[in-house]
Amino acid sequence: MKIKFILISILFSFSILQSFSQVDLLDIADKNKKANKDYTIATFKYTRLINTQTSETLGKRTLDVLISHRFGNLNSGGNNLWGLDGPANIRLALEYSYDGRLMGGIGRSSYQKMYDGFLKFRLLRQTVDGKMPLSLTLYSAMFYTAQKDINKQSNGYDRYQYSVDRMSFVEQIIIARKFSQRFSIQLAPIFVHYNQVEKIRDKNDSYAIAVAARYKFTKRWAITTEYVWRVKHDYDENKYYDSFGLGFDIETGGHVFQIHLTNSFGISDNQYIPYTATKWNNAGIRLGYNLSRVFNLPAKK
Amino acid sequence: MKKGLIILFLFIYVNAPAQIYISKACEISFFSATPMENIDAVNTSAVPVLNTTTNEIVVKIPITSFIFKSELMQDHFNENYMESEKYPFAVFKGKINETIDYTKKLCYPVSATGNLSMHGEEKCVIIHGTVTPADGKIIIEGKFKLKLSDYNIKIPKMLLQNIAEEVDVSVSTTLEPYVRN
Repeated sequence: MKIKFILISILFSFSILQSFSQVDLLDIADKNKKANKDYTIATFKYTRLINTQTSETLGKRTLDVLISHRFGNLNSGGNNLWGLDGPANIRLALEYSYDGRLMGGIGRSSYQKMYDGFLKFRLLRQTVDGKMPLSLTLYSAMFYTAQKDINKQSNGYDRYQYSVDRMSFVEQIIIARKFSQRFSIQLAPIFVHYNQVEKIRDKNDSYAIAVAARYKFTKRWAITTEYVWRVKHDYDENKYYDSFGLGFDIETGGHVFQIHLTNSFGISDNQYIPYTATKWNNAGIRLGYNLSRVFNLPAKK
Repeated sequence: MKKGLIILFLFIYVNAPAQIYISKACEISFFSATPMENIDAVNTSAVPVLNTTTNEIVVKIPITSFIFKSELMQDHFNENYMESEKYPFAVFKGKINETIDYTKKLCYPVSATGNLSMHGEEKCVIIHGTVTPADGKIIIEGKFKLKLSDYNIKIPKMLLQNIAEEVDVSVSTTLEPYVRN
């Protein structure tokens, strides 16, 4: 009786040992892993797609030097090397983000001598577990044109007599979702306000919806497209068109290169959204590229 | 007398040191050195677990938790090289080859042999380092070289000068007795 009791107790004691040695360590590691929110990365490759802003912001402590270039019209003919001779539009910009969520930038494009400054804030980020199904980014920009009124002499009136008349504004809410490793799409309602418009019957406010998508067909190449549908505008139907672009994103180590065809000459949001003056139908398109180089500022450690 | 023995037996087992140790702090880093560029990243989210009775060790490493100096680099690492959405974890399952007296406060030079699975591939690796039991804690430090081609991680030709084919990985962790919830 007593021997039995001893045996049982020994067995019991061993079973304690056994339960420890046969335990699945991976199981324990799984149960104790640090719960960190995994955000979906690289919904788009860059802060811009072709002309439109994407839901992306720059990374933490990143300074971006961006050069955007648009050549002349493709339909300007062979003598003009299909637009490569110009006239061209170039935008130079410096953009920065300290915390990776809020970014700001200043830039200037040669067309209409347009200075711009903007803030972009990433409000929501899509997560890998799907609890947050989409990303939402707010964008607010203001523009100032430094061009002179060419008709000042002829009609004796300077349309830019007051400098507030040189200003315009663009507000956007960008909603994006990365559906798979390869495919991402975004939708952005846009509001554009010009303090001064060209003709008396033109309205200062206009609205648009931009749809943009990218499809990655290799690890470093993606095909991109965007369409800006002007929902509400009241200027001459035959003078301005919706902006449409097709392009490629090519990423190399420290920079992103985007090459595309678009019917918009303007690079600033206040230019290409309401005032794209040429259309795809008669090859009123142009070759363009965005070239970005990022620097870490201040460098970590 | 015999009852006393039984109680003694039970007493010994109950008071035996916990055999499972889990990391409360772990730093895994890798370093890629080329004449063109040095790349390094640190991960503090990995969870090493050690069974001191069997010397088995398991480390689970979330790939997206590697922090780089440049966020663009981090994006590229996750998107193009490691494909983190497809392969979110690297797992090392191995065993410390030497016998260690975990009750003694000594620095043991050790090696651990095991399988490292990552990026959909599994390869045998040997990690050299030290194990130092100290005040109920165990400090483990280790280093090994990892060949990118072993794990089907392709470097584009254009960037061959910027990314080393072999990277140095180092691990440093402090383990504490695991309390089951």
